[in-house]
Amino acid sequence: MKPFDIVIVGGGGAGLYAAMEAMKTNPALNIAVLSKVYPNRSHTSAAQGGANAALANKAKDDTVEMHIFDTIKGSDYLADQDAVEVLCSEAPKIIRELENIGTPWSRLDDNTIAQRPFGGAGRPRCCYCADKTGHTILQTLYEQCLKKGVIFFNEYFALNLSVNGSRSKGLIAMNMKTGAVEAFPARTVIFATGGYAKMYWNRSSNAAGNTGDGQAIAYRAGIPLKDMEFVQFHPTGLRKSGLLVTEGARGEGGYLLNKDGERFMSRYAPEKMELGPRDLVSRSLETEILQGRGFDSPAGKYIHLDLTHLGADLIKSRLPQIREMAMNFEGVDPILEPIPVRPTAHYSMGGIDTDNYGRTVMEGVYAAGESACVSVHGANRLGGNSLLDILVFGRIAGHTAALEARKFEPAAISEDEVKDQLAELRSSMQPSGHYERYGELREELGQTMAANVGIYRESSLLKKGIAEVAELKERFKKVRVSDSSDVFNTNLLQVLELKNMLDLAETVAAGAFAREESRGSHTRTDFPTRDDEKWHKHTMATLIDGHVKLGEKPVTMGRYELQERTY
Amino acid sequence: MKRYAYYLSCINESMTKEVDRSIDLWQKDLGIELVKLHESTCCGGSNLDYVSPKHFALVNARNIAYAEKMGLDLVVSCNTCLMTIRTAKKKLDESPELKQEVNELLKKEGLEYHGTSEVRHLLWVLIDDVGLETIRQKVKVPLKDYRIAPFYGCHILRPSSVLGKDNPLDPSSLDLLIEALGGETIPYEHKNRCCGFHTLLVAEQESLNVAGEALEEALRLKADFIVTPCPLCHTVLDGYQAKALKQAGIKSSIPVFHLSEMVGLALGYNAKQLGIKRHIVS
Amino acid sequence: MTVSTDQHKEGKRDVTFRVFRFNPQVDSKSYFDDYTIPVERGITVLRALNYIKEHVDASVSFRAFCQAGICGSCGMRVNGISMLACTTQVWDMLAKSKEEGVIKVEPLRNLPLIKDLIVDMDPLVDKMKHYSNWVDSTMPESEMGKKEFLVSEEEFLKYDKATDCILCASCVSECSILRANKEYVSPAVLLKSYRMNVDTRDSMHDLRLAELVKDHGVWDCTHCYRCQESCVKSIPIMDAIHGIREDALESRGMKDTSGAKHAEAFMSDIEKKGKLVEATLPFRTNGVLWTMQNLLPMAVKMILKRRTPPPPPMVKPSKGIKAFRSEFREMSEHVKQDHKSHKK
Repeated sequence: MKPFDIVIVGGGGAGLYAAMEAMKTNPALNIAVLSKVYPNRSHTSAAQGGANAALANKAKDDTVEMHIFDTIKGSDYLADQDAVEVLCSEAPKIIRELENIGTPWSRLDDNTIAQRPFGGAGRPRCCYCADKTGHTILQTLYEQCLKKGVIFFNEYFALNLSVNGSRSKGLIAMNMKTGAVEAFPARTVIFATGGYAKMYWNRSSNAAGNTGDGQAIAYRAGIPLKDMEFVQFHPTGLRKSGLLVTEGARGEGGYLLNKDGERFMSRYAPEKMELGPRDLVSRSLETEILQGRGFDSPAGKYIHLDLTHLGADLIKSRLPQIREMAMNFEGVDPILEPIPVRPTAHYSMGGIDTDNYGRTVMEGVYAAGESACVSVHGANRLGGNSLLDILVFGRIAGHTAALEARKFEPAAISEDEVKDQLAELRSSMQPSGHYERYGELREELGQTMAANVGIYRESSLLKKGIAEVAELKERFKKVRVSDSSDVFNTNLLQVLELKNMLDLAETVAAGAFAREESRGSHTRTDFPTRDDEKWHKHTMATLIDGHVKLGEKPVTMGRYELQERTY
Repeated sequence: MKRYAYYLSCINESMTKEVDRSIDLWQKDLGIELVKLHESTCCGGSNLDYVSPKHFALVNARNIAYAEKMGLDLVVSCNTCLMTIRTAKKKLDESPELKQEVNELLKKEGLEYHGTSEVRHLLWVLIDDVGLETIRQKVKVPLKDYRIAPFYGCHILRPSSVLGKDNPLDPSSLDLLIEALGGETIPYEHKNRCCGFHTLLVAEQESLNVAGEALEEALRLKADFIVTPCPLCHTVLDGYQAKALKQAGIKSSIPVFHLSEMVGLALGYNAKQLGIKRHIVS
Repeated sequence: MTVSTDQHKEGKRDVTFRVFRFNPQVDSKSYFDDYTIPVERGITVLRALNYIKEHVDASVSFRAFCQAGICGSCGMRVNGISMLACTTQVWDMLAKSKEEGVIKVEPLRNLPLIKDLIVDMDPLVDKMKHYSNWVDSTMPESEMGKKEFLVSEEEFLKYDKATDCILCASCVSECSILRANKEYVSPAVLLKSYRMNVDTRDSMHDLRLAELVKDHGVWDCTHCYRCQESCVKSIPIMDAIHGIREDALESRGMKDTSGAKHAEAFMSDIEKKGKLVEATLPFRTNGVLWTMQNLLPMAVKMILKRRTPPPPPMVKPSKGIKAFRSEFREMSEHVKQDHKSHKK
């Protein structure tokens, strides 16, 4: 079976689309998908809203051009305009292709794909399947990959790239079922491993495994990461788990109350109140908590999202899922009492730097989806553009790799290299003498990121954050893996994931410290305005001699001049 | 004397005649009268609903309509008949079009389905209408020396959206009845599991495996007998017991009683009167 | 789910989690470990397991990913019932515990055990492949992406619920027939097969159906409804299974398989007598040879006990059979009309 022409790391929307498209482009290629979970478990399934495409099914006057403009404006002009053009002009084709292979899109009266309005979009162009859009897209892609006979290595954890100078030889990964470290020599590798917002841990809506594995592997191999400081926060995450309570709760008339019982949004958005823009509401909640008007609990400070005045009937009929979530994950029935919430990190705009074809600077290495940064979201992603991103650029990366794979010589990975990886893993498992506990380190990482590299950022906080992350990295060297088993050692996996998060946390904090302006999701209280003169550019984080070095890259402009972002 | 229309299940008319025979013996003792509905037709046995959903609705609308004509609830003593007729009732009550289509045809018999009669299992009537206290008082021969494994069967529990009396994860009605009759119920994990009846003729081995497990547990727990409110479960657990245990490699046997027989025993009737001698396993 | 007032008052208590343990590297057989930890109200079983893993015993192994009830990773049996640990409140399960203050946690059934609470999902994936659980589009690949199929709301509703399935395998774990035969197709795969077969964009309905009616397929379901009852997404799985059977009878005829013949017998007996003629059911389902081989030894005993069902002439028709028959036959005409207008 080995060596492979293409090894795709990650079985979510981007990885599966890449696999499907690569098989289509050249069925003779030997393609494998490696995933640390069964592909149908991937975090793509959590995307409820939908995917934007100017199909003009709902609003007949919608155009690709309008979609491009909305996306660029939403990005606070940090997105590369040529990349956005690719994203939006490919969108209708992608959505139709998914439809053609079985995605159960909701429908309009004329039996075409349904579309609905979404924040920041000038027309209703978000295509959806009820509130399970990501789930159904993921199922469809997985089904089609099974149909095409894609080879899956499920429950394999990617460890590192095997690199020879400027060229990748393939991947080294661990088979979770056996604990064996295996080589995957490959002409090309595509990273499609999802986002890194889980480094905020229980201040994140992400799945436990959204630990940025691909980005960390690429980073360790010397590939630059772009715009890592941009992390989007959603205003209403559940206190204990960080899981999202969707905007519907506020849309139906829910109140946000501080501990004095005050509807504090009156001070921040007197007209729109709870329905102000997402970033503004997030900042308002954070301000209330920081200024001591939040509630206190062992699980952290929080604000009340109060639905009790809406009455049992309305809650049951219009907000059943929100009620179920509050009961399942907080043990709170919103009919009887308010839901404890606080802002939660839920999307990472930054990632592995790629061109519009998914190529990275390293020969034979590609990236797509949330793990990549092309960039199409710039400083702030629009709702409905994340699913679109993984589909469009997953497809492009698969296509490009399929066309380019045979240009590269087949690679081999030496036994020694695999042995080294195994030895390193084993030695990391049992430090002698004093040791550190995984859970504590991870908890502290989440806390320092939320407190110092969170919604509000400021020079002294960021310095503190950088120092604390550095200290955690140091302490990590003494972390102990308490489970000594080879078979499905989930404890070892947690530790390996923590290592990835720590590496990336350093880049997020460094980027946030360097960027002395406020743009999109990045809010510096000491630099409250956008500074186009100094900072209309991407940050590039590269690992040099064990430390992050920041560089920069210009933003590709096009038709749209810089403007102030107002709604 | 509370009256009910009593549905005649095919199996109780043929293979498990002892069910209706025992009910006939004791119904008056408990102050109930079950009026036999000789017009009853086969409910479709959880098969007709997919063979022809419309015939399924017609047949069972008619079954219920006869009870409605008498102004009585329809009482059933077979789980599958219960589930099947209740499913049909739910479909009819949810679809005015279907109800109308069916009623057009029922006119031929001067019948009309309204949805006014409840469809209930005999066990439910004993618990809810007769009452455990009354039953306790009427007991003549308490089952006090018996360890009894209650086998509820599927279609008195699931789907709960159609049945809804017992919690399908942890049913209690049969246990309560056993206790009222003076018996000891044992913590029987297979109480809410399947007997395998519906695949006996299609996937016999699988069915026998399913039944074998249930029998094995009852034997392991040293139950004196198994009791079931369903004649189909009885047919498997009793009639196919030898085959199932042989397949499971177990050399032993255990009697299986119908709910109606167990009640009869406690009320002082003997095995011969109740038709218990008709069982395969004695 | 209801939150009782008692629970509002009681904020925190010690709970014992009795966790199934098995590590194939060292254990010759499985055992249980008890972990007693403080749990506050509002905590899910998964969060309790996370706590145990982080603070008590890091070797306890289970899968978890989204922790929000959508990825399906953390299917396991809690107090004996298959469910998602991440959407299950500890407080709710305490109310259902057999032993006060103890919650039992075990791996799913009917799938090979890997370690502790982790089972192998590959058999399920293999079955999805075997039964072609994908849409094989009627549109050639070269045409894709250019235009949409037009799909009516009516068609969408046929598979809407089925596409809620997150493959958590709770139904697989609860299935009575799988427990008896691991080769059985399994409820989740039947559900997915149904979903594909009612999709007009798909081109392989007939082939898929042909596979489904074979041994270990759709006719082996014993209607126990455990799958439906345990579905974490409340999908009416039995409707899908019955949907495949209805389709099989319509597309492949009433004499196709023993399952079909068995089902058909109900229809014809009811029409003739209003009653099932049980005596001949085995012959009609499986033929004379099978019946003689399988049921003859039992029949002897049954005859001795006068337990044999009466032969066909002795089955007394239901009262009012004539009127019933004419209603029944008229309904057959309705059904024919329905099919005609449907085909149009």
